[in-house]
Amino acid sequence: MWTLLTSNSNFVGESLMKFVESTGIVGFFSSMGWGSVVMIFVAFFLLYLAIRHKFEPLLLFTIAFGMLLTNLPGANLYHTELFAGGHVHWDIFVANAGLLDYLYLGVKLGIYPCLIFVGVGAMTDFGPLIANPKSFLLGAAAQIGIFVTFLGAYALGFTPAQAGSIGIIGGADGPTAIYLTSMLSPELLGPIAVAAYSYMALVPVIQPPIMRALTTKKERAIRMRTLRPVSKLERILFPLIIAVIIALLLPSAAPLIGCLMLGNLMKECGVVDRLSKTVQNELMNIVVIFLGLTVGATATAEAFLNVRTLGILVLGVLAFAMGTASGVLLAKLMNLFAKEENKINPLIGSAGVSAVPMAARVSQTEGQKENPGNYLLMHAMGPNVAGVVGSAVAAGILLSFLG
Amino acid sequence: MLWVALISICLVFFVLVLLVYVMKLFGWIFTRKPQQAPAAVKPVVQGQLHEEEIAAIATALKLYKGALHDRESEVLTILSIKRAYSPWNSKIHGLTQLPDRK
Repeated sequence: MWTLLTSNSNFVGESLMKFVESTGIVGFFSSMGWGSVVMIFVAFFLLYLAIRHKFEPLLLFTIAFGMLLTNLPGANLYHTELFAGGHVHWDIFVANAGLLDYLYLGVKLGIYPCLIFVGVGAMTDFGPLIANPKSFLLGAAAQIGIFVTFLGAYALGFTPAQAGSIGIIGGADGPTAIYLTSMLSPELLGPIAVAAYSYMALVPVIQPPIMRALTTKKERAIRMRTLRPVSKLERILFPLIIAVIIALLLPSAAPLIGCLMLGNLMKECGVVDRLSKTVQNELMNIVVIFLGLTVGATATAEAFLNVRTLGILVLGVLAFAMGTASGVLLAKLMNLFAKEENKINPLIGSAGVSAVPMAARVSQTEGQKENPGNYLLMHAMGPNVAGVVGSAVAAGILLSFLG
Repeated sequence: MLWVALISICLVFFVLVLLVYVMKLFGWIFTRKPQQAPAAVKPVVQGQLHEEEIAAIATALKLYKGALHDRESEVLTILSIKRAYSPWNSKIHGLTQLPDRK
């Protein structure tokens, strides 16, 4: 009996070896194993920023955790090869896919960013934009950063599709950046998402020096005329009109704008309160978890640890800065042609780079530094929400040219 | 690529400028007041107004006055008040002096 039990010692040894080889610890010593260690520390750093310093915690937290999971050797939660070449390899998908591969389909098929836009629409008040339609111009000007960065990235050797994805960081709109990148250059999704959300959290640091450098004290102290009240009927018709016009002019922007306006109509019509609350809370939160985890999962060591990522981070901050500057400069230009009572405080121009409502708050804070009685928040919300529409339009244009 | 970027910027502006005009038209439709023929002004004889009319006018005036407020500099200042010394307002002289036991 004893002989029988001990005769398979070779089998036991092989099984043990197999077990040891299957552990993640051995994976650290394989090729790019060091990269996984570095990425795990990057994930820890991002978690620290999200938890300790509250840097866009809703998304940075989940992105960082996805990054941690994907870089644990042997966990096999996410496989880049299933999405190689920019499309899903359905023939090998079911046999090899891990949990995050299944969840990533929502990003790959462009579902999550659009669902988030439904929630964003339901939380957005377009009243200041309806009351002052000129804000659309400031929202358009702030998109110039996207296209200047697109040219810069192309000059640095990125492909046109990659350059377009990098440029969209300047739109300061996370779901739009993720939507466009997943369509144009999914291999850059991790670095671009991390750059976009990190810079959005850094808006109060990046924007004020640019705003102060481009404006005079007198300009920063300008008081703007009170906005006219907006009726309920106008609020209901606004999403319908915008959705129809943009979908007809730019069908490639229709998914994002359509979802944004769907959410807004839910809020404004007042008869589907339950749906409105659901998309603002439960749906939004669930999608944020899936989106963050899967976008973080794309940040594997092979995709993240290279000079290209450094280039993306530098170009991203330049895109942000140029978007801010062009918004402020257009506001100054508009003032040259405006009557005294219709002057615009140029500080609200910087809010044209989406980042709702952080960018508008920055305009308010900077304005109050010059004139404590000046309340720019509602005026800045106009360009701010126009920036959301503007960045979705810019994404649609890039998609139709480069897709 | 320069042309792609330039055309894209122009397209963004074109779409958003179009929206500006659509929204301006939209605002004009909603904010214009219906044109009414000016009604002939009748002289008001005291005592002809109904109680409801008086209440409506009073409420409107109250709301209008309530919305009015004056603009101030919004700078808070605390002025220090300087008083010349006088034994008449000196605190020590106002208190009953206790007798000194020597």
